[in-house]
Amino acid sequence: MKNTLFDRRSFLHALGSSSAALPFLTGLPGLQAAPKQQAKRVIFVFTPNGTIPDEFWPDQQGEQAGDLKLKRILKPLEPWRDRIAPLRGICNRLQGDGDRHMRGMSCLLTGTELLPGNIQGGGGVPAGWAGGISLDQELKRVFQAQADTRTQFGSLEFGVAVPNRADPWTRMSYAGANQPIAPVSDPKVMMERLYGQVQDRENMEPVVGNVRAELLKLSQQLPERDRMMLQKHLSLVTEVERELQHADTSAELAHPMPDVDPDIELVNDNTPEISRMQIDLLVNSLANDMSRVATLQYMRSVGQARMSWLEIEEGHHGLSHEPDNNKQAREKLVRINQWFAGEIAYLAQELQRTADPTGGGSLLDHTLVVWMNELGKGNNHTLDDIPFVLIGGEKATNFEMGRVRQFPKHTPHNRLWLSIAHAMGHEVEHFGDAPLCAGGALDLRSV
Amino acid sequence: MGASGLSGGMNGSSIALLFLLSVLPYSLLRSDESHPGRAIYQKHCVSCHGEKGQGSEDYPDVDPLHGTRSLESLAGRIERTMPEDEEDLVVGEEAKLVAEYIYEAFYSESARNGNRIVQPDLTRLTGDQFLYSVSDLIAAFQGDENPAHPKEQGLKANYSLNNRSKAGQRDVKQQNFKRTEPRVRFDLGEGLPTPPDGVSIEEGMTGFHANWTGTLYAPETGEYEFTLRTRNGVRMFLNEHDHKKTPLLDGWVAPGNNIREVKARAFLIGGRRYPIFLQFFKQKEPLSFIELHWRPPNQRREIVPSKYLGAHWVPMRFSTARAMPADDRSQGYERGGTVSRVWLEAVNAVAYEAADWVIADLNRMAKTKDGQPERTAKVRAFAHQFTERAFRRPLSADEKKTQVDIHFAEGRSEEDAVRRVVLNALTSPQFLYPQIANPDPDTSFAKASALALSLWDSLPDGRLWKTARSNQLKTEQQQRKKAQQMMADGRAHLKLTKFFHEWLEIEAHSEVAKDESLFPAFDESVFYDLRTSLMLFVEDTVQSPSSSFQDLLLSEEVYLNKQLGDVYGLGKLPWHFVKKRMPGTKRAGVITHPFMLTALAYHDDTSPIHRGVFLTRNIVGLPLKPPPEAIEFTGHDFPDDLTMREKVTEITRSKSCMACHSMINPLGFSLESFDAIGAFRETLKDSVAVNDDSVLALDDGTTVSISEPRDVARYAAESPQAHRAFVRQLFHHVVKQPLDAYGRDNQEQLLASFTESGFHIRDLYVQIALSSLNPNQVP
Repeated sequence: MKNTLFDRRSFLHALGSSSAALPFLTGLPGLQAAPKQQAKRVIFVFTPNGTIPDEFWPDQQGEQAGDLKLKRILKPLEPWRDRIAPLRGICNRLQGDGDRHMRGMSCLLTGTELLPGNIQGGGGVPAGWAGGISLDQELKRVFQAQADTRTQFGSLEFGVAVPNRADPWTRMSYAGANQPIAPVSDPKVMMERLYGQVQDRENMEPVVGNVRAELLKLSQQLPERDRMMLQKHLSLVTEVERELQHADTSAELAHPMPDVDPDIELVNDNTPEISRMQIDLLVNSLANDMSRVATLQYMRSVGQARMSWLEIEEGHHGLSHEPDNNKQAREKLVRINQWFAGEIAYLAQELQRTADPTGGGSLLDHTLVVWMNELGKGNNHTLDDIPFVLIGGEKATNFEMGRVRQFPKHTPHNRLWLSIAHAMGHEVEHFGDAPLCAGGALDLRSV
Repeated sequence: MGASGLSGGMNGSSIALLFLLSVLPYSLLRSDESHPGRAIYQKHCVSCHGEKGQGSEDYPDVDPLHGTRSLESLAGRIERTMPEDEEDLVVGEEAKLVAEYIYEAFYSESARNGNRIVQPDLTRLTGDQFLYSVSDLIAAFQGDENPAHPKEQGLKANYSLNNRSKAGQRDVKQQNFKRTEPRVRFDLGEGLPTPPDGVSIEEGMTGFHANWTGTLYAPETGEYEFTLRTRNGVRMFLNEHDHKKTPLLDGWVAPGNNIREVKARAFLIGGRRYPIFLQFFKQKEPLSFIELHWRPPNQRREIVPSKYLGAHWVPMRFSTARAMPADDRSQGYERGGTVSRVWLEAVNAVAYEAADWVIADLNRMAKTKDGQPERTAKVRAFAHQFTERAFRRPLSADEKKTQVDIHFAEGRSEEDAVRRVVLNALTSPQFLYPQIANPDPDTSFAKASALALSLWDSLPDGRLWKTARSNQLKTEQQQRKKAQQMMADGRAHLKLTKFFHEWLEIEAHSEVAKDESLFPAFDESVFYDLRTSLMLFVEDTVQSPSSSFQDLLLSEEVYLNKQLGDVYGLGKLPWHFVKKRMPGTKRAGVITHPFMLTALAYHDDTSPIHRGVFLTRNIVGLPLKPPPEAIEFTGHDFPDDLTMREKVTEITRSKSCMACHSMINPLGFSLESFDAIGAFRETLKDSVAVNDDSVLALDDGTTVSISEPRDVARYAAESPQAHRAFVRQLFHHVVKQPLDAYGRDNQEQLLASFTESGFHIRDLYVQIALSSLNPNQVP
């Protein structure tokens, strides 16, 4: 476990020379020639507590692309109607220890059962962490193993309002069995990770100039015997200042750092701003080809976000338990899920607006977005009919979009992960629990 | 072992000379052309040593005649060793005259300084001083009380028993109670925490939550490894009050009910306290167990002892793992005498981290809130205060503008402005060079700054700053009172402890391995325990009421625990350290402490040379120059039947060696009754009896006969030479400047006060710090 306090600026340590020198910008991509093979990318977006199925699933299956009619929850994705595919019939079939929220979350990207442990959920037996690697980390491993798909970070794990506690309800990415990976919910920490050096330089330069002036003045005032050391100090500071000025013009990011306020307070009411910042940072990191795999996790399984920006004061999870006949609660849940859909629409829009740095087309053309949930429906805790939606990425995956894909009831989601792994160029026979992969990858390709 | 002590004597003329020196001030000793020693020097010495002792082109290996020997020691040395290969040429009265001449003409420090008044060198903060000052500067705005000893040891514990069977259950029964626990170490089996007397556990309770909260004291600066051994769910926050943040150790999810270990490291600045908070729970799993261990730098892992835990609140404290480059030690002590690119980059990097820290807590430090109308004004006021505390004095009107206000530009956020102010303050020469910030040493701010630097290696805390503001550091009495108060602070403990690390060269021996077939019981953990034992002894002695230098050299007892008891054959001892006598000849404080004897030995045998050099330089206080020719000592090159003593005698028999080894060898031989791990022995292999008798011939003509190790200790404990060396070394550690930059007779005055106090170490420490308030000034 890392402690942010002691590691806040560990990138500086790793760098050896902090804020001062040119080496700053090595490791950041510049305006170099594009690599030969165009990148394939995937973003997994998580939102919690199930959906309202009859406000989510389109009525008709849509036999052909183009005739998809969106219901209220998916309405914000209307501009992308031809580029999305809700996947119906897919189910998290993993059994074993832990309650359904825990399994829904920690078995989601891993496709493996939870290990035994001490965490007692709202039912079932206590459980621990997931028993295997998650798909995002598996793809990172594969991409990082090869020079032409390797990036600076390999994967980035974004969070929005994820409470800072580590348990099976808050973690979906795993580097392996018993190795949960914490998402970064603070845009400031993410900014430091992505562009820390650039920011340092911007703040340091004017200060260095000021210190130089002070040293110059003092070294003229001091008696002869004391002057030497200050003069040496002065020459070092001057050298650093010159390098900072030089660095300013000689290197820049292919896509400049997005303009986000790093000092935003991480409180519930700021969630909408934080969400947009994290999306901006995510898109920018892809645009600079710092990573090709990302996760974006909203809250957590059983999340109790109070969405005051939607004028909803009750906690999300509490609302999701209300029976179907509670019309008020139902309305609020629709609005909550609409808000999530809107954030994903914004992500799609930003990806579409940004050119792919590794070849022609937009980022959205070459980036598959997978929207997922830990439950099908909140008040019965079902792990059936989980609202999976695919968005974009057609040129990378060759998946067919613009219609609902209906699969037989209880189709294990492990098979969906196989399809995505294959589409990303990772031809494996199973992922996670092997028996659940029976039947192989789902056919998502256009006919 | 026979009688011991000083023996031999001085001849008549050397008594006369000493008498002369004691009544005549140095200035009356003539060093001019007419001095009778000059003619002798010209005749016998100048061809090698040159006109001014600088050496000559024909003899490039001859070191310049500069040094710290006393006049009598110098005379004795000339008598015995000069001129080389013709030692009988300059002896007796002539040797003394030559010594007197060169002493006053160029040998002594005052001769080299001539009539020039020595001033302190302009130096920057050393690496440690910089880190400590940054941390304490920030702490000044977060609450900077830092007592070395808390009012109550241990941690506050809160227990909450419950009958919960699943998450989210509403009708849960709870039973809560509190108490203070000495340490975190519980093995409750299938049971629950014991309630206070008279209270019984309510029916149906199955699980519980517990938390332990308080402070953790870091006795040394460096990386600490923390380990939670547990069967259950636990997390630990260190130096973090916001428990929504990421814990340092997170073992909330337990993969089973077996004992497992969760580890993490944290870099802590020593002499300071950090908030610590542990959360623990046990629900359905049958057994509960938890222990909190740590491994401080260069020590063995242990359960965090009670004395380092405090049941009170402290603010978070800025700390960084950023390593500052090593400081210049060319003068024999650490000092900020040079600047380099690496240093500047380290300074910038730490300033950056510090700025982040300040921004993260800006509202609290500036005593404001987001959205408060006067926030801008308050943040700016804070920026001024921060800079003035960094400069250790109030700011001029001009400085307020150029160092602070300039960074508050139109349209820039307060956070960005403060980031620049902090970067500016921490990289400013006014912060980095305390003498520049307070050029007049007589102001109360300069006195406060010098006191904090000398006693703490840091800058004034809130209380000292207030004292300076109200001009309460004018008189010596006020200064002394303040200095004595400051001695109770953990920072003074840290700095004083660090001195003993240096004096005993403890860090030089961070890894010591021994021959497994000869010392099968000796391993790394034994060595760590020896180190702990030595430091316990030193701290105990120094912090005791008498704080006696003599006790340091003469104590017969050693701190030992179970492991050491087993290794050194003392039978069953408790796990914790207790003071004990060891078998065999009586011990003599640090000189015969098994750590020193082990560190100063080969892996399979003793090393009288290492031991002798250490005793000569650090304890007896005589300077040694590097050997004229490097000879590698390999014990195995000698015939098997020679003892170590015989081998050393053989290899150092030449005159050029004996110049120094006449001192080194007898001192080293005196410890031959302790083997390579410091255990007592009466015989060597093949039943040869140990010979540790020797005679120490001092340069001033006296001899000391040594027949047991304590004779060396007794000699050093009584010897003004040893006292003077101790004063000098401690002064350099504290002030990091030349001694005579604070009054020409500073050393002798400090020596006199040390003697008068009965060789009270803490008193000397205060006295040295007070002397640093009065540097020589050029009119």
